[in-house]
Amino acid sequence: MATKESGDAQAQLAPSSSASQSKEVPENPNYALKCTLVGHTEAVSSVKFSPNGEWLASSSADRLIIIWGAYDGKYEKTLYGHNLEISDVAWSSDSSRLVSASDDKTLKLWDARSGKCLKTLEGHSNYVFCCNFNPPSNLIISGSFDETVKIWEVKTGNCLKTLSAHSDPVSAVHFNCSGSLIVSGSYDGLCRIWDAASGQCLKTLVDDGNPPVSFVKFSPNGKYILTATLDNTLKLWDYTRGRCLKTYTGHKNEKYCIFANFSVTGGKWIVSGSEDNLVYIWNLQTKEIVQKLQGHTDVVISAACHPTENLIASAALENDKTIKLWMSNH
Amino acid sequence: MEGDGSDPEPPDAGEDSKSENGENAPIYCICRKPDINCFMIGCDNCNEWFHGDCIRITEKMAKAIREWYCRECREKDPKLEIRYRHKKSRERDGNERDGSEPRDEGGGRKRPVPDPDLQRRAGSGTGVGAMLARGSASPHKSSPQPLVATPSQQQQQQQQIKRSARMCGECEACRRTEDCGHCDFCRDMKKFGGPNKIRQKCRLRQCQLRARLSPVTPSESLPRPRRPLPTQQQPQPSQKLGRIREDEGAVASSAVKEPPEATATPEPLSDEDLPLDPDLYQDFCAGAFDDHGLPWMSDTEESPFLDPALRKRAVKVKHVKRREKKSEKKKEERYKRHRQKQKHKDKWKHPERNDAKDPASLPQCLGPGCVRPAQPSSKYCSDDCGMKLAANRIYEILPQRIQQWQQSPCIAEEHGKKLLERIRREQQSARTRLQEMERRFHELEAIILRAKQQAVREDEESNEGDSDDTDLQIFCVSCGHPINPRVALRHMERCYAKYESQTSFGSMYPTRIEGATRLFCDVYNPQSKTYCKRLQVLCPEHSRDPKVPADEVCGCPLVRDVFELTGDFCRLPKRQCNRHYCWEKLRRAEVDLERVRVWYKLDELFEQERNVRTAMTNRAGLLALMLHQTIQHDPLTTDLRSSADR
Repeated sequence: MATKESGDAQAQLAPSSSASQSKEVPENPNYALKCTLVGHTEAVSSVKFSPNGEWLASSSADRLIIIWGAYDGKYEKTLYGHNLEISDVAWSSDSSRLVSASDDKTLKLWDARSGKCLKTLEGHSNYVFCCNFNPPSNLIISGSFDETVKIWEVKTGNCLKTLSAHSDPVSAVHFNCSGSLIVSGSYDGLCRIWDAASGQCLKTLVDDGNPPVSFVKFSPNGKYILTATLDNTLKLWDYTRGRCLKTYTGHKNEKYCIFANFSVTGGKWIVSGSEDNLVYIWNLQTKEIVQKLQGHTDVVISAACHPTENLIASAALENDKTIKLWMSNH
Repeated sequence: MEGDGSDPEPPDAGEDSKSENGENAPIYCICRKPDINCFMIGCDNCNEWFHGDCIRITEKMAKAIREWYCRECREKDPKLEIRYRHKKSRERDGNERDGSEPRDEGGGRKRPVPDPDLQRRAGSGTGVGAMLARGSASPHKSSPQPLVATPSQQQQQQQQIKRSARMCGECEACRRTEDCGHCDFCRDMKKFGGPNKIRQKCRLRQCQLRARLSPVTPSESLPRPRRPLPTQQQPQPSQKLGRIREDEGAVASSAVKEPPEATATPEPLSDEDLPLDPDLYQDFCAGAFDDHGLPWMSDTEESPFLDPALRKRAVKVKHVKRREKKSEKKKEERYKRHRQKQKHKDKWKHPERNDAKDPASLPQCLGPGCVRPAQPSSKYCSDDCGMKLAANRIYEILPQRIQQWQQSPCIAEEHGKKLLERIRREQQSARTRLQEMERRFHELEAIILRAKQQAVREDEESNEGDSDDTDLQIFCVSCGHPINPRVALRHMERCYAKYESQTSFGSMYPTRIEGATRLFCDVYNPQSKTYCKRLQVLCPEHSRDPKVPADEVCGCPLVRDVFELTGDFCRLPKRQCNRHYCWEKLRRAEVDLERVRVWYKLDELFEQERNVRTAMTNRAGLLALMLHQTIQHDPLTTDLRSSADR
């Protein structure tokens, strides 16, 4: 029933170009609500699909991480251990491990199969806000309210490097697809790119008016950076030249650090949550809003895209506390 | 000319001259350097300022000085003498100085301080106040007559409220003279019949500025969660003040924040706060977790205690840390993502509130049809009520959840089943291998036995003489000594055993495998409290090679071309045979090692199976079903995988 149409080949965002070179203009996606996952007792802060596509991990202010089946939305497991709210969760590349960042100033490394906490990474002096694995998954990177970015070694749990990255809380950190670069965004309005091996800052992207940067991420092919700022704007930058290529607006984002994503499984979209309770989907090239998904009753704080299927998972804050799974045919 | 005079100018010339140096800063002292932000003392005659370091007068010494003249002035005019303060008059003079600007008339001046408050604080922290702070805290203690008559004598008659590290001397609480007798601290005092365990000042007499705890308004006898904002409040954070201090300093500015669910709270209400000690906060955090066990079990929707004030207040305690930084308004908006903390705070407020109330105002038990009051730190009046409510919930909710679960196939379940199949197959193969090993083990034993029964035949001795290079020397790998190659094997085996027996290799648990004979050594080592985990046949530490009787035959099965058994046995006496030294031990070890490997594999598979099974049970267990729900909106599409993957 569900078929995959290849997107147009203008912006090669995926590392490997699609095999079939059809030049059709993609139709707008028709994401429809398929499942609602109920279970968290407080606001959900982040949802992420596992790289193998089987699981969905959600972290919440109720100090729990819940793993759901990605294809059927069924509950699988709960990970306990944190003492305070969890702000972010991330999968390792082999989908066997999770790292979570919490207000109790620690990060925890979990084994997804058994649900055990393998390591607790201590060292930050304030809330840890964001976390990510590098592609080989031997390093963890974390950004915190103490204005630093720390790089941890997975095997030992030691902090390898601390980058005094910003002068305000760090809101997002991400590795590029090869693991050689790190991008970090912060409330001070700066987006910095670092060399992962040496910890040197390679570039700083500043926008006019420097609005706080609430989210940053590399594109799947590592050439562009998507930044979200608290002035209701998403921007796609070519960081080598320091130029903003595309701007996506129409949603509302002034208070929260809302996740945004590239959807590359079907058409090429940008997906983001919004403070007006909708999930916005833009066409990556034309910057038009192609769909707005309605259903949540509170700010949609996180929207994740499945690695292989046309699935979107969205999560909302405490008035809603649910995660919704949307599926599209293309 | 003393001190660090580096300038060739005569010291007298430096009296009033403020010669400008390159930085346009006025210069002082005998060293002719500008104010370097250290302690300075001023001469009461020539009005020149001197660095304490240069003339070797410390701040502490200066406190004891009333009139001070510089060395030059003293030399010029012998009448000028440095006057010191009497110990008691020091305190009084210190009090007088509150709020006063530095005066030009008598009295040793210290470095002019721009902020009288700071001066007061500085003064009380060291010499003057320290003397008063210890022991007595009564403001009634009047200062005795000073030895030197000063105009300030009249002030003696007034009551001087002491300043100290914990008393500012000016607020309402400091001015109180009597203990209230009703607060918890008073009731602990001996004079009110208490056990004197807490040993704190009356709650109403805790200084509003400097005490670690916060005072409570007289109208409330028990420490309630609310208290009014103290009026004289200095928003300067200082380490001496408790956590609440910092919090309150910023409370006023936090009015900009708007929690998403709080209703509009009036200003005074928003400034109220809990008398929290950092320890108390931690306790509650920990306690909350224990108290509720599983956070989702709380009946948040049913409890009536949540009111906006509590919620709003809850946030501030959390945000204490961030207060010191730049513009608060900018930050407050950004931190909304953490507004969810409010709910968390609310949870652990409940036990506290309950404790504070008397039985008449306890909430009603949540049991069905029960009208009794709940226990102080619970939502139910008794276990039965709780159980009844739980049972009701299960009856109501569980059937529909089970139905929902079964509506669509669980993909993880299917994966799990496949995995179990695979594991079972592997376990089967492992077991067959094990049986194979056991068979080999028995075979070997039989061979060895048979070999022992052979009679010795000395006629094979001639084999020994075949061309061995006896002049070559091999070095033993363990001890490094040169040895004859003929006995090399023997020597090295013994040598190795000697070294190896000095180390221990074991684990804390004894081996308990059913149906396995003689695998691990398992000898208990009391020093390291471990069981030796070497192979029993090989362990050099715990098994000595038995003495070989003279007539015992070697018995090693002879082979042709390494692999083919000839069916014959070595007939040499064991003592002499150098080719087949220790052959039984090695063969046994070989077989045992294989067996151990198979057991490990079985263990691993067993572990995997257990994991899969627990995952399968927990996925759709009672708790999981009750706490989580997956609502399928499209009954036709239950599997979200595209057809290509199915």
